[in-house]
Amino acid sequence: MELEVKNIFKNFGNKEVLKGISFSAESGEAFGLLGRNGAGKTTSIRILMDVFPADSGEILIDGKPIDYSKIRIGYLPEERGLYPKKKIVDQLVYFAMLNGLSKRNAVKSVDNWLNRLQMSEYRNKRLDTLSKGNQQKIQLVTALAHNPQIIILDEPFSGLDPVNAMTLKEVVKEEIDKGKIVLFSSHQMNYIEEFCDKIAIINNGKIAIQGSIKEIKRNYTRDRLVVSTEYPQKMIQHFGSRCMADKNGELTIKLKSADDKNKTMKEIIENFDVDTIKVFEPSLNDIFVEYTKNGGQEIKNETI
Amino acid sequence: MKQFKTILSFELLNYLKNKVFVGVTVFLVVVIAAIMCFPSFADNIFSEESDKNESLPVMIIINETNNESSIFEEPFSYAFTNYNVKLYDDSYDTFEDEIAVGNAECAFVIKSLTDYDYYVNNYTLYDTNTEIADQVLRSIYQTNSMIESGISIEDASNIINVQINHTAHSLGKDQTQNFFYTYVMIFALYMVIVLYGQLVATNVATEKSSRAMELLITSAKPVNMMFGKVIASCLAGFIQLIAVFGSAFVFYNINKRYWEDNFIIKSIFDIPLNLLLYMLLFFVLGFLIYAFLYSAIGSTASKVEDINTSSMPLTIVFVAAFLVVITSMSSGSVDNPLMIACSYIPFTSPIAMFTRIAMSSVPVYEIVISVAILIVSVFAIGIVSAKIYRLGVLLYGTPPKFSAIFKAIKK
Repeated sequence: MELEVKNIFKNFGNKEVLKGISFSAESGEAFGLLGRNGAGKTTSIRILMDVFPADSGEILIDGKPIDYSKIRIGYLPEERGLYPKKKIVDQLVYFAMLNGLSKRNAVKSVDNWLNRLQMSEYRNKRLDTLSKGNQQKIQLVTALAHNPQIIILDEPFSGLDPVNAMTLKEVVKEEIDKGKIVLFSSHQMNYIEEFCDKIAIINNGKIAIQGSIKEIKRNYTRDRLVVSTEYPQKMIQHFGSRCMADKNGELTIKLKSADDKNKTMKEIIENFDVDTIKVFEPSLNDIFVEYTKNGGQEIKNETI
Repeated sequence: MKQFKTILSFELLNYLKNKVFVGVTVFLVVVIAAIMCFPSFADNIFSEESDKNESLPVMIIINETNNESSIFEEPFSYAFTNYNVKLYDDSYDTFEDEIAVGNAECAFVIKSLTDYDYYVNNYTLYDTNTEIADQVLRSIYQTNSMIESGISIEDASNIINVQINHTAHSLGKDQTQNFFYTYVMIFALYMVIVLYGQLVATNVATEKSSRAMELLITSAKPVNMMFGKVIASCLAGFIQLIAVFGSAFVFYNINKRYWEDNFIIKSIFDIPLNLLLYMLLFFVLGFLIYAFLYSAIGSTASKVEDINTSSMPLTIVFVAAFLVVITSMSSGSVDNPLMIACSYIPFTSPIAMFTRIAMSSVPVYEIVISVAILIVSVFAIGIVSAKIYRLGVLLYGTPPKFSAIFKAIKK
């Protein structure tokens, strides 16, 4: 199954929130939807979930317009919240039923998930008697109990302790292995790198960059070298403002152009005592900052 | 439809499982049962003692006139059935002490048939003993005067106590009969609509403030959510009304013979069936209009605390309608121009038209027009409220201005 979000535009009043968002994800893969606060991620997710319609654009499943009566979507919103004063099992069954399950199946599925997340002992307790982390696990059940084909997880790891984060990782991996489409929205780049093959960075209502993380990194302008040396001062004096030391003691040298790479490497090896020298490869965090730092400015739409 | 049913049953069960809802309903039923059964208990407990005059407060009559004391005994005992009337001659001069220590409640010192002194420990605002005594003495004086003029005692008594019979024929509605039950029904309508309307608004705002709304709007259609909530609260209100009025009706019938003499209670339970059906109709339509608006208001508030301010204009409209109706009822003229106008305005017609139907003779076409306007308004307000709800549930922060909402729903 392929989910395709195609050229979505959305205005709220005079404010253009989405200006032609397009991305696609396939069954059995996790897709990272990244962007700064207010970039348009939640609006995109809400349009994808049919909370409100787009002004223009399409949501397609295998090339056909999505039929919400057939496609089930599970959602873990960033703003967590359920009914604090109600019994956990009652509200989980309610949400599973709202998402299309019969009461019998809803109860069965909820019990399975509570068991899977080691939360069965809290089944008949009120939500507000649970710790924040456990409440989050309960919230996760609302996203998964109705066996959705598409799972949208907005900041799923925030507030979880390492053990619970591990459990969630296992659950997410299981769901990906079952052939679900998992959409991740998070600012914790390590988790995105761990799970997602493909990402899209939304900036200012537009896709700033999208594609597989590997390719994005590979295609990143290779105009910087990272050098490890015992004598950094000599190199700093030689390269001047183009050379900067980072916190690990390594030096980053900005090249005049990517074509200068081999020539500069040769020059460094010949003239300085270096331990290692490599072309700078950015982390996802670096890419995110690079493409979103001008949140208010237009960035050229680039697709890889 | 399946989603609507799920929401409806979830919301209705929330009411029925709510301890406050169950507690208030049981409390009201118990209070009504206690009130309705009270005369029966009182009759059983106090029947023996009530036979004895000792249990009644003592009224002392001191005869200082030249007349025989016997001419006062019977009329005073007959007129003051709630007192143990004791007659003394003028030598009884410790009566003031008896009153002061509480052995007697009051005393009449009769100086002549047209002059007496009244003694009582505390002269209250509601003490009517002197008025009754005036009548008794006037009657004795008149009888005596007639006897002295040669008229026999019997004739004199007949002349003075002549009985006037009258029958009032009301060609329309009898307001002495229907005032009390109309008042009770209007009050019940008012209370249920305001209380449940506020409850709906609070529920929606609570879902928003607890952020359960984030999940709800992605799991259910806003229209299903709003209609499910409103109709569940309508059913809950109806169940509570049935419980309260039903128990009142059952306990009244069990204790009917004890209430035979109570005109007000008797008239309240003499509600004609057609009026009950009208009440049901206006309850449902009126409730829906207000509950839709309350839910829309609830959706625009981010916190429960905002509800009171946001819903104030709507509550004021309904309170004003209630005041117009109650004032018109008290004045006896329920067909005044203001009431007629209110009978066609959807926000006021549920109680205004109902009152007119109950207390006056309203032409059928007027009822049809009023109900038709109300039904159309329910649908129109339902659609507009659903649009506001759909927008409102996604908005956080300062509640939006009315003009902004209007602009958004026009789109």
